[in-house]
Amino acid sequence: MTFNRIERSLSRRTFLKGTAAVSAALSGFPIPAIAQSSEVTIISAESNANTAEVLRRIAADFQKAAGTKVVVNNMDHEADKTAIRNYLVAGAPDVCFWFSGNRMRAFVTRGLFDDISDVFEKEKYADVLGATAGSVTVDGKQYGLPTGGTLWGMFYRKDVFDEHGLTAPASWEEFLAFGEKCKSANLTPVAMGTKDLWPAAGWFDQMNLRINGLDKHFALMNGEMAYTDETLKPVFDHWEELIKQGFFTPDHTSFGWQEAGAFLAQKRAGMMNLGAFVRAAFPQQDLPQLTFAPFPVIDDGLGRYEEFSLNSVHIPANAKNKSGAREFLTHFYKPENLAAYLEPGGNVPPRNDLPASKDPLVNAAVESLKAVAGTSQFYDRDTDPDMAQAGLVGFQEFMARPERRDAILQRLEGTRRRIFKL
Amino acid sequence: MYPRPVPETAHASRRLYMTLVGAILIVWLAPLFAVILTSFRSMADVMSGNLWGWPTEIAVVENYTAVFTQTPMARYFLNSLVITIPSVVGVLILSTLAGFVLARYRFPGNMLIFALFVGGNFLPHQIMMIPVRDLMVRLNLYDTTTALIIFHVAFQTGFATLFMRNFIAALPDELFQAARAEGATPFQTLIHVVVPLVRPALAALAILLFTFIWNDYFWAVVLTVSDDVKPVTAGLANLRGEWVSAWNLISAGTIIVAVPPVVMFFLMQKHFIAGLTMGAVKG
Amino acid sequence: MTSLWRRHRWWLTPTLLILPGAVLFAVVILASSVQSLWISLHDWDGFGPMVWIGLGNYRELMDDPQFYVSLKNNVIWLVMFMLAPPIGLAIALLVNQKIKGMRLVKSMFFIPLVLASVAVGVVFTWVYTPEFGLLALIFRAFGANAPALLSDEHFVTFAIVVAALWSQIAFCMVLYLAGLNNLSEELIGAGRVDGARGWNMLRHIVLPQLTQVTFIAIAVTVVGALRSFDMISVMTRGGPFGSSSVLAYQMFEQSIFSYRFGYGAAIASVLFVIMAVFITWYLTRIIRAEERGA
Repeated sequence: MTFNRIERSLSRRTFLKGTAAVSAALSGFPIPAIAQSSEVTIISAESNANTAEVLRRIAADFQKAAGTKVVVNNMDHEADKTAIRNYLVAGAPDVCFWFSGNRMRAFVTRGLFDDISDVFEKEKYADVLGATAGSVTVDGKQYGLPTGGTLWGMFYRKDVFDEHGLTAPASWEEFLAFGEKCKSANLTPVAMGTKDLWPAAGWFDQMNLRINGLDKHFALMNGEMAYTDETLKPVFDHWEELIKQGFFTPDHTSFGWQEAGAFLAQKRAGMMNLGAFVRAAFPQQDLPQLTFAPFPVIDDGLGRYEEFSLNSVHIPANAKNKSGAREFLTHFYKPENLAAYLEPGGNVPPRNDLPASKDPLVNAAVESLKAVAGTSQFYDRDTDPDMAQAGLVGFQEFMARPERRDAILQRLEGTRRRIFKL
Repeated sequence: MYPRPVPETAHASRRLYMTLVGAILIVWLAPLFAVILTSFRSMADVMSGNLWGWPTEIAVVENYTAVFTQTPMARYFLNSLVITIPSVVGVLILSTLAGFVLARYRFPGNMLIFALFVGGNFLPHQIMMIPVRDLMVRLNLYDTTTALIIFHVAFQTGFATLFMRNFIAALPDELFQAARAEGATPFQTLIHVVVPLVRPALAALAILLFTFIWNDYFWAVVLTVSDDVKPVTAGLANLRGEWVSAWNLISAGTIIVAVPPVVMFFLMQKHFIAGLTMGAVKG
Repeated sequence: MTSLWRRHRWWLTPTLLILPGAVLFAVVILASSVQSLWISLHDWDGFGPMVWIGLGNYRELMDDPQFYVSLKNNVIWLVMFMLAPPIGLAIALLVNQKIKGMRLVKSMFFIPLVLASVAVGVVFTWVYTPEFGLLALIFRAFGANAPALLSDEHFVTFAIVVAALWSQIAFCMVLYLAGLNNLSEELIGAGRVDGARGWNMLRHIVLPQLTQVTFIAIAVTVVGALRSFDMISVMTRGGPFGSSSVLAYQMFEQSIFSYRFGYGAAIASVLFVIMAVFITWYLTRIIRAEERGA
């Protein structure tokens, strides 16, 4: 999943990295960091250049204050996902950024992330984090700090809605009616680009949360429920209904989410299921038009569960300077530093004691989260990565060829049985 | 000559023939022209969907400046040079040595070693992917240009040795007999007889290797992750993820990736073609 | 010491000279390939312990529908790629004329050969893009709508192969042009005297002289077809839903995205076996030619 990459395009366009490129050029061969105990090395994977800049600044401040040298290596967001498996074992940094929840747990169970419950206790993080602390907790111990989150929802343009007299659908019936209205106004009801696979899985998550609720969704994510289970049937029935009625962008497998986002920005689509990072597809002057509503309710009897992906920061178990890393984390996690770090990307703060953001979308997300009964992170963060790869492909295929539902689900079920050793 | 030459006196048919060939050439290179043209287009044109009409303004300077200043393309370009040049030099040295021995010394296993070099050269890259990646991780070289250099030198040595061996084997025997008669050591023979004579082969090989290594994408993806190490090919793929609809910038990036091999080719065309066809024509 | 060196240098020097290349090649290329065969017998996620499962990965492969899709696509690549030698020959015949400006024209025809496949992939992705692409433009000129080739599971592989053929044809054309320059003028002249023309001349007098070139052209084309990875990775990443994947790409995807190194190694091993058949055929021909020469 690439939803952090986006803003890179936006910021790179406005932000000249000239100096960074020159200094990088002069450094020549990258030398594997041989950390001395007085040094803290950090690997980050910020695709937003402004966020990376803030992180460097925070690191520089820390270096000045603590007298400890800090080295920040910023890697490509996608590449980091495979590289981390190498560097956690051989050549671990002292601090690294990752994803909370199941993806973190995979490394915790292998003993690759350090237990930082002591920091939690000392800094009393439990008091300011609330529910988000759970995403970094395994068996009562904390293995990282949540950094910032993305709340998923249905994004749309206010002016398009006004022009066509549309309102954000709150129920399934309203959603279907919304689609009809869009189509008669020559709008694609829902912009969708599945070239990068994951947007289809996001749609699946939303539908499953609305129809089956959080517990059953997690049963599926944890491999405890079959993909052929009857429980999932209404999810695919509803989804198929939308597909058959032409709710989604035609040829969606040809487009990345950015191109699909452009359809929304160009007033050619009604809504789009994404995080606030969809703004990257919008020209600056159109941003005030962008807003979002929660995914429509399908079953009134269920609590409101939302998709909320939470990133995190960790100390590898093989880090050489764990005390320095702890000091750095404490510094990084000060409200003013964390707020500065989150601002460029428009991510939702995990701490409840940060000042209100200047970004209306962030504040709307914070408000919206208050009414939420529980959250999942995202399909490819909540389930086994091997399962996720198969699932992403399966959902894309379902969106293009709904008639193959049974074959796809059989296949996914086979994959589940293999992975969870059933 | 086949086909029969169009007679030199038939000016009209000659002109007609060239027009026909020119027309085919334009179709042949149409995709390339399209990309070049697009790299000249302004963002305004691209945003408004004017991708094939006449550009409202020529933004060639802006686009290429943008690629070099707002994306890490300059860095990727430098990385590609840092990877390609030492690799080519390394392969040339190793393959001259190995090719000389295989061409001029009969020993048990000579043919076997030769066959392994040739056969290994045809292996699918994927069969080595996991162990090579693992090896680089263990050597603490993963995500360094050194890792790519080591791999390229190792792999291309197979092809290059075949090439040099054939070339050295075709040198006149008398030269080597004379050297032996004068009591030259094998090393002296190599330096004073072989090296001066294989220069054209080295030139041909160098340009071929440059193209192969510069254009490599698979190993760039497998062995590198950070922007400080990535060559242009992997960099271009990255760029596409970030600049999805900025066709003009992607096109400019594509041209930047394509230019060095094309320039090398035009500068050293004779050597390039001689190199490619050496095996084929030798018979 | 010196005398020992003197006595043995006749074999020591050659050994020392061949050693660096041979060792590097043996360690990095050959040993790695063998190691992959070993890994393919294990369940391994790339950083945990390796678990021996014997032929388990291969058994799973036999039941994996994606494997058959990839295999089928490999066959499509192989068959369609065989168009490269004849088309390359055709273009070579077309430009094999001594007319002013022809040299430049030839060079221009060669260009796709030196372009990075990533660049070719980007160029053709764009040619195929619905609505904006060159193909869409052409279709619109005829009042039709271009199909979204890269998202159609039936066309996607063909669309990618066409892009890949672009440079492969240029490669074959270079080979044939060199071959045409080495034709025996006597045989051609004799043929002309006998009244051989056009197709007959090509079939009975020219092609037999180009056997060796054709052998090389077919060899590089087979290798090119089986090696296809870059274009797929750049143009579709195997999509939509795996329908354009080939063994090389499936192997990469399973290893890097699904962290299934054992399974990936098994796929690579299958590809290796297919390639080995070809390598054996090629090597026997080469070695036989060597022995005849020696």
